[in-house]
Amino acid sequence: MSALGAAMAFSVAACNNQTGFSGSVGNTPNGPRLASYDILGTIGTPFTATVSDSRSSWTLQGNVPLSIVVCNNTLPAAIVATKTTNNSNLLSLEIVIGNYVAELQSTSAPFGTVSVQAGGSLSSIASRASPDLRIFAAGPLDERYSALVEDTTTGFVIGARAPTLILFDSPDGKVDATFFGNQGYGTLVLNMTLNGVVVATSVHSKTIRQP
Amino acid sequence: MPFVIVIGMLLAAVGSARAGKNALVEVGIVGVPPPNFQNVLLNVQSVRINPHANVGPGNPRWNNIPVPPGIEGAGQSADLQIDLNTSQNVPQLFNTTGVQAGTYRSAELLLDPNNPGTLVPNCPLAPPLGNASDGCIKYPIQLAAGTSVISVTNTGPGGLIQPGNRKLTELVLQVSMTIVQAPTTPGGAYTVAVTLASPPTNPVEMGVVKGFVNVKQGSGSGSSPTGKVRGLAVTAEAIGTNTPIASAPVKNGKFTLELPAAGGPAAPGFGTLYDLAVAGGLDTYAAQRLLPLYPGQSITADFTGSNSLTGSQKLGNITGTIYDNCVGGRPIVGATLQLLIPPDSNPTANCFPSETSPESFLECVAVATANTDNTGYFPLPGTVRIPAEFNNVPIHKQKHYVMEVSAPGYDNLFVYASPGRNNKGGACSTDGTTFTACSLALNTGYISGTIPIEPPISGQTTLVQVFAEDTGTNNIESALPAPIIVRSSNPGTVSFTLNVPTEPIPPATVRTFDLFATTIDLYHGTTDPYQGHTIAVLSDVTGPAQPSKPGACSTATATFDQTITCIGHGSITAGPDGVANADLGTSVVLSKGNVQITNTPVQNQSANSNPLNSYSFCIPADTYQVQRLQLPTPDPNATPSAMPTPFLDGSAVTVTIPPAPLLNAPTASPTTTNACPTTCQNPDGSCPGICNDVIQPL
Repeated sequence: MSALGAAMAFSVAACNNQTGFSGSVGNTPNGPRLASYDILGTIGTPFTATVSDSRSSWTLQGNVPLSIVVCNNTLPAAIVATKTTNNSNLLSLEIVIGNYVAELQSTSAPFGTVSVQAGGSLSSIASRASPDLRIFAAGPLDERYSALVEDTTTGFVIGARAPTLILFDSPDGKVDATFFGNQGYGTLVLNMTLNGVVVATSVHSKTIRQP
Repeated sequence: MPFVIVIGMLLAAVGSARAGKNALVEVGIVGVPPPNFQNVLLNVQSVRINPHANVGPGNPRWNNIPVPPGIEGAGQSADLQIDLNTSQNVPQLFNTTGVQAGTYRSAELLLDPNNPGTLVPNCPLAPPLGNASDGCIKYPIQLAAGTSVISVTNTGPGGLIQPGNRKLTELVLQVSMTIVQAPTTPGGAYTVAVTLASPPTNPVEMGVVKGFVNVKQGSGSGSSPTGKVRGLAVTAEAIGTNTPIASAPVKNGKFTLELPAAGGPAAPGFGTLYDLAVAGGLDTYAAQRLLPLYPGQSITADFTGSNSLTGSQKLGNITGTIYDNCVGGRPIVGATLQLLIPPDSNPTANCFPSETSPESFLECVAVATANTDNTGYFPLPGTVRIPAEFNNVPIHKQKHYVMEVSAPGYDNLFVYASPGRNNKGGACSTDGTTFTACSLALNTGYISGTIPIEPPISGQTTLVQVFAEDTGTNNIESALPAPIIVRSSNPGTVSFTLNVPTEPIPPATVRTFDLFATTIDLYHGTTDPYQGHTIAVLSDVTGPAQPSKPGACSTATATFDQTITCIGHGSITAGPDGVANADLGTSVVLSKGNVQITNTPVQNQSANSNPLNSYSFCIPADTYQVQRLQLPTPDPNATPSAMPTPFLDGSAVTVTIPPAPLLNAPTASPTTTNACPTTCQNPDGSCPGICNDVIQPL
């Protein structure tokens, strides 16, 4: 952990004073610990999902496995996922907080739907996120990493495994992210979309920045 | 696909032969659930085995068998949720891992200590006093023994299992649950006793597939573009699909698979159908379609002689992008790509369909699969050590692969694909002559329409999902990319637009669909596994015409006349008479207005000691039809050319679930604080009470 911490400290320092960023980026205070919404099951199973916290919501499509993290989220939160394949593959929706599974629901039904909540009851799905900023860490599959994702006011430390979709709720200014892996860590493939348009990609760099 | 094997569809791991752990153990689970529950769910963290009996958790001889890939990964916490209802006859495969050879006397099932499981009871036949015990909702469980570790031991000389070096041994655990105490307070937990037995008291419905794999010396360079090569393995897939059931490495030219096999009251049983796909190494692909596999029996499937693989292949990759042919540049996320080859049993099968044989591809076997990412690009990356299947494709000198591209709501596309050398991504062709980069467009059309709905009260939302299936079937083709969010301000109608495929299904000349709309509800503010709103259906909707050119896509209209209303839960169960003369190919389909909504297998059949031949549906109170759906019994002496198709059997029976009585008097000013004790809430503040169950044997 100390090596990781040192690496993060180095990277955070390097993140300061970059062109196009606020002078405060890299010195942002830490945000609260984030939950991970893991969509698991039979590898490759396609699905659609709606993620909502009390302020914003997002819709997305993907394949198993996928971890979703919402930076700057305002609990309670909910996620609804529907399998989009007419077979009996498993789709399991799990909320992981810290190192334990807080809630899960699974389905093997064709086009089955599952939903889970975190942080209380969310009786109403929020309006669509605006701006809708997403960072997709494509792989390598199962690669564990840590990342610092920040806007101009708050930095969020994420521990997750690829592939991961990072959603940033109501960012204050522009967003950047720096990724750190373990020894033997593969090349992480990253892309950032803003309102559905790819605005940045990164294959060999550990950092991705909103232009 | 036979549903008797669907519960085992997680990708079973290829056991890693770590130092000293050269014996493979495959764990399967069979369930003995309590009756009258729609779901009996346990959250499993892992299974572990020990050579000694009565040892503590800190004993160093425990061998851990983790949850399978897709659930487990790189030490991440995750649970595999198993439903004891669905594994009463045929075991659900858990995972396979390498252990040291020897005698193992202890096995433990580790449940999640924080959330060991969930029960979903059917609606009560006689509602208990009070209004707090609805059916078809989730109840937590607490374990009567006070521990989430469930154990079984055998101190005999043979122990539970005796895995040997380079051999695969099955460990089938029978997990039984009994109810100790029903909840006594609203939202309370069931106190349950969970026990483990091995071997199971009922017959073990597993069979063996084994054989030799001969690799002839090839003349290629024997190289991979990345320097990384997937291990040579044989994967058993559910027939006609790319769904892996189990996978075994090829060691010393041999492989062994232990697979679920559907039995029955009479020998040899119903039988389960599999395909074998051989891929990996620097070798060519191979495939076989098998005879039905029966419990306790063994099938030999050799890849030798003229069916041998050829080694020393140069490996290439097939990469590209899948996009929508109607909306320029829109990527299709989550599309599935498969490389198809003819099985050895049918080497002349044409995997590329034509006008004269549009379904010939069903005779082929998928040997490699890929999916698109959020930009439509394929394949998704593999792990650091194991490349994606599409990044390890043997390069054919004289022929190309047939690649099927599919996505929900789109027409399937078949192309010829040629892997690229040196990471160049390969090329694709629709006619086999002109090859370009694999940037492929899928055709689609649209169905737009409206559905009447009673909007929720202020402060709540109702989520509506719409499905399209081929008319007269339960073959769902498409769903909305996101549910429609209905708020209290809604005027009473929701609009939707659904992508659907356009290509007619022969011999029909136009494509038609059945549509149904469901809701995703909350119960006491938490997620509700079964909806409380009525299901709106619309049958035989003529679909859109095929696109005349890129971007020229059609829209058909569909206007529902059934209103989605809050009606409350309900259930239909088979009762003590069950389903007569059922076998492991029998299921029950539930329809409304000639639109098939869902189906369920007939559970707990003979040769179990106390067969019930049961089925159950949790479904909103309404009028439905239930009918048998039957898979043809496989011929024990004939290899099927394609996956069998189930057929409706016998007459449909109409069943009406009475609506639950209304609770909370209607009021002119309803609020969310006027909480309902069950599921959804009506616009006037009232809500349905405890749900009803209807017994309907078949």
